[in-house]
Amino acid sequence: MTDHILSIIIFLPLFTALVLGIVRAEVRLLKIGSFLSSAVTLMLVAWLTFQFDPHAGMQFVEHAPWIKNMGISYYLGVDFLSLTVLLLITLLMPPLYLYMKHEERKGYWYNMMLLQTGVTGAVLSLDLVLFYLFWETMLLPIFIMIGKYGNGMHQYNAMKIVLMTILGSMSMLFSILYLGYMHYEVTGLWSFALNDLSQIDLNAQTSIYLAAGFLLAFVIKIPLVGFHTWMAPAYGSAPTPAVVIMSSIMAKLGVYGIWRFGFGLFESTLLYYAPVIVVLSLIGLLYYAIRAITEDNLRKMFAYSSGSHLSLIALGLILTNIYAWSGSLYLIATHALASAGIFIMIGLVYKRFKTVHISELGGIASRAPKFTFFFAFFALSIAGLPGTGGFVAELLIIIGAFKVNFWIGFFTATTMLAAMVYVFWMLQRTLFGPDNSSCDFQDLNARELIMLLPLVLMLLVTGIAPSLFTPLFEPQLSLFLSDILHTLGGVK
Amino acid sequence: MMMQFIYALPMAIVVLGAILLMLLSNSKITLNRLNLISVAILTLSLILQFVLFGEKESTYLFSSIFGNTFILDDFSAIFDVMFTLGAILTLLINNDYFKSREYFAGEYFSLILFSVFGMMILAHAHELVTTFIGLEIASLSIYALVAYHKTRTISTEAMMKYIVLGSMTGAFYMLGTALIYGAVGSTSFTEIAAYIHSHDLSNITVLIVGASFIMITIMFKIGAVPLHAWVLDVYHGAPYPITMFMASTFKIGIFAVALRLYLVMFAPINSFWSEILQVITILTLLGGSWLAINQTLVKRMLASSSIVHTGYLLIAISSIGLGSDLAAPAVMFYLIAYFLSSVGSFGILSFIASKKKKQMTYDDFKGFAQRRPYMAIMMSIFMLSLAGFPSTIGFLGKFYIFTAAIESGQILLAGLGIATAFISVYYYFKLIAMMYFYESDETQKKFPVGISTVLIVIISLIVIWGGIGTSLIPFVPGADGFMNFASQAISSLK
Repeated sequence: MTDHILSIIIFLPLFTALVLGIVRAEVRLLKIGSFLSSAVTLMLVAWLTFQFDPHAGMQFVEHAPWIKNMGISYYLGVDFLSLTVLLLITLLMPPLYLYMKHEERKGYWYNMMLLQTGVTGAVLSLDLVLFYLFWETMLLPIFIMIGKYGNGMHQYNAMKIVLMTILGSMSMLFSILYLGYMHYEVTGLWSFALNDLSQIDLNAQTSIYLAAGFLLAFVIKIPLVGFHTWMAPAYGSAPTPAVVIMSSIMAKLGVYGIWRFGFGLFESTLLYYAPVIVVLSLIGLLYYAIRAITEDNLRKMFAYSSGSHLSLIALGLILTNIYAWSGSLYLIATHALASAGIFIMIGLVYKRFKTVHISELGGIASRAPKFTFFFAFFALSIAGLPGTGGFVAELLIIIGAFKVNFWIGFFTATTMLAAMVYVFWMLQRTLFGPDNSSCDFQDLNARELIMLLPLVLMLLVTGIAPSLFTPLFEPQLSLFLSDILHTLGGVK
Repeated sequence: MMMQFIYALPMAIVVLGAILLMLLSNSKITLNRLNLISVAILTLSLILQFVLFGEKESTYLFSSIFGNTFILDDFSAIFDVMFTLGAILTLLINNDYFKSREYFAGEYFSLILFSVFGMMILAHAHELVTTFIGLEIASLSIYALVAYHKTRTISTEAMMKYIVLGSMTGAFYMLGTALIYGAVGSTSFTEIAAYIHSHDLSNITVLIVGASFIMITIMFKIGAVPLHAWVLDVYHGAPYPITMFMASTFKIGIFAVALRLYLVMFAPINSFWSEILQVITILTLLGGSWLAINQTLVKRMLASSSIVHTGYLLIAISSIGLGSDLAAPAVMFYLIAYFLSSVGSFGILSFIASKKKKQMTYDDFKGFAQRRPYMAIMMSIFMLSLAGFPSTIGFLGKFYIFTAAIESGQILLAGLGIATAFISVYYYFKLIAMMYFYESDETQKKFPVGISTVLIVIISLIVIWGGIGTSLIPFVPGADGFMNFASQAISSLK
């Protein structure tokens, strides 16, 4: 079983969905089945983490030929980077299923299971065609969920997110095909495996063009400012579970893509785009923060907030020093937890008030103290409250930025203050102040507490004791980094 | 001689069956029976084709009588299988459709079989005049089929358009043949190829002009822009079964002859047409996409998207001329992929149309997923495959074609192909969005288990399996297997 554990982790949800679909399960059975599949994958991933050797490279590798005449292989593996995202996916699924407990529409559950297979597969694939397959297929459930179960102009927004993301994917496809052909031309063999393709020597011009193909796909997925027009509408109309996955996982996959495929394939060539990405990220930090301050819709506000944090992660990534990289990886994890928490809370607000507009909310604190605590906690951990993981991560990135350039560091640090503004102002207007609505506000019940507590605990542990986690990723991270910096030295 | 006779049987069965059906068409046998008879005839031919497949080296059929006009090789064998399968699927899937329309009569089956026979000649022909005969037999049957609903103005108009333009391009073909005959003194492919080999490119201008005329006919028949004006109206005017037959099967027949001409006869002078082909490809891709975006009728959208698919195939055809080894099998693979996806999507359309008697617009699909969830899933699979979404066979088809284009150095063309694939996502996903994103007033209907629906289910499974399947399961061709068929067919050409 250990040989195929990654395949099991990827395909268990899909398999469950297929079996349940074929027997045309009742909605009750569907709920149990999907929850069980997520619980089992969580256990498998926990076991995997326990067995994980932080000093070795790719582990639990599965390699089998898939389409032989083109050298496309079924190639999976896990290292510190994929393990981080994999852990996040599997940690978030059970709470989301708990959140969806009263959801009676069957399609919802099927789509969630397909979505889990899609994102997990994208994280674990080491073959570019396989990665592309998962990268595209994870879009389908999101498309259906926004379009079918969303609100607002959901049909339009679903089409928009699909078209913009596929535009990026198509440019990536071109680069993948070209790289595969280059490998064929150099070695006479077709291969699309990441470690084969990363060994081809491209001339600078070609690799700059090809890197652009990949970057476009990832930058749209993140999204950096300028490529973000799909973001706020899609987050605004998507149902809560889809928003959580989009903000916590899929946006992170954009960063993951730059990390794994961008740096993995093109190494220092990627730094050719560093000025562009740095500028876009810095503009993004400020722009998204301003949009968040002025936004009245809570979902859209945190969509922009998510964009601003992802810009920060992208910034840390492109600065390529050990502080910024550790910070970025750390922020991927903690922001995923915090934004999952806040979007679930917003979903709960919507369930109770049927609105997510700040102007129509208020006075929650006096009636629902537990709700207020959790809401404030997640909001503050997004803003980087000391004691939560977000603080450690942001601090590391800011240190890294100062290492590179004083002004980049200065600008990053000051724009982070803007996050404080919108979070505190939002808290004041939603939780406190006059009671704006007449509905009977229920405080959190036991089920909701159970699904939120793990997130809170994780955030606190990552915040108070970061030293527990650093040994897990530190060795490989610095090795990866020194590889890239080494080639950079060679270029100079 | 005896063996030769057996080799000829698959074709003979089809043509004899067609004559038999013509004789039966005025008898009192019901349409349902006639359908079964014609399917039985085709199936018999199909089984024989499977038995004979790979048994023989490439030989000429009855060379003492026909000369070197008919060739039997793996290439034509695979196309025969596709034509026969296409006809069988057309007949079976539309079983409900022609029962719901009074205008169908017995000749329908006879005409379908005749056109299959014509296409088989087209795939087997190794000589220009024979090719023309095959082309005309197939085309004339199709002309008649297009106007089958003879009281409907739109159908007769479509037929007139098609027959006038088609005959004119047929004249181009004859002119081209005459010029080539004038230059070479023979119409046999072998001798023309030998003539081209032994002469310098600058000395064979007449032949090149003739060959270009033939190319015009081919471009017309496959609907390449700027010779595409008939496509939308003819596909729209024809009854659903005929549109399905034309889009999936007849188009493949034309590509069979195009591939043989390009790979066998004109191989040394392929590069002469590269620029012309590239321009036509660009026009076809862009023009087809432009047409497809603007349609409101789903049938017309599929018709115009078939122009775009022609464009992808043309990318590969011009890659053949520029020396890509992958391109020829890529064309074959794409034809298989397109055949499956278009048969499936037109099949579902005609299934819906058999229940209600109006043209299906995008808006009519609103809430379709709620009324018929399984049909909607299958339609989505076909749309995804046509759009080239990974995990379907359509993706691998595009994958091979674009890789071949990059291999032959046509990087911009590959980029344009990918860009049009992106545009196609819009009009295919629009249908998925219509099916899933709107509520329906009607309640969910039971899945109608019948021969047509079961076949559509099987095709949709093949479409998925062709995209993700490996050759791990014996006897079931996965993504690998289809490509191996394609390569085997191409390597048998000579």
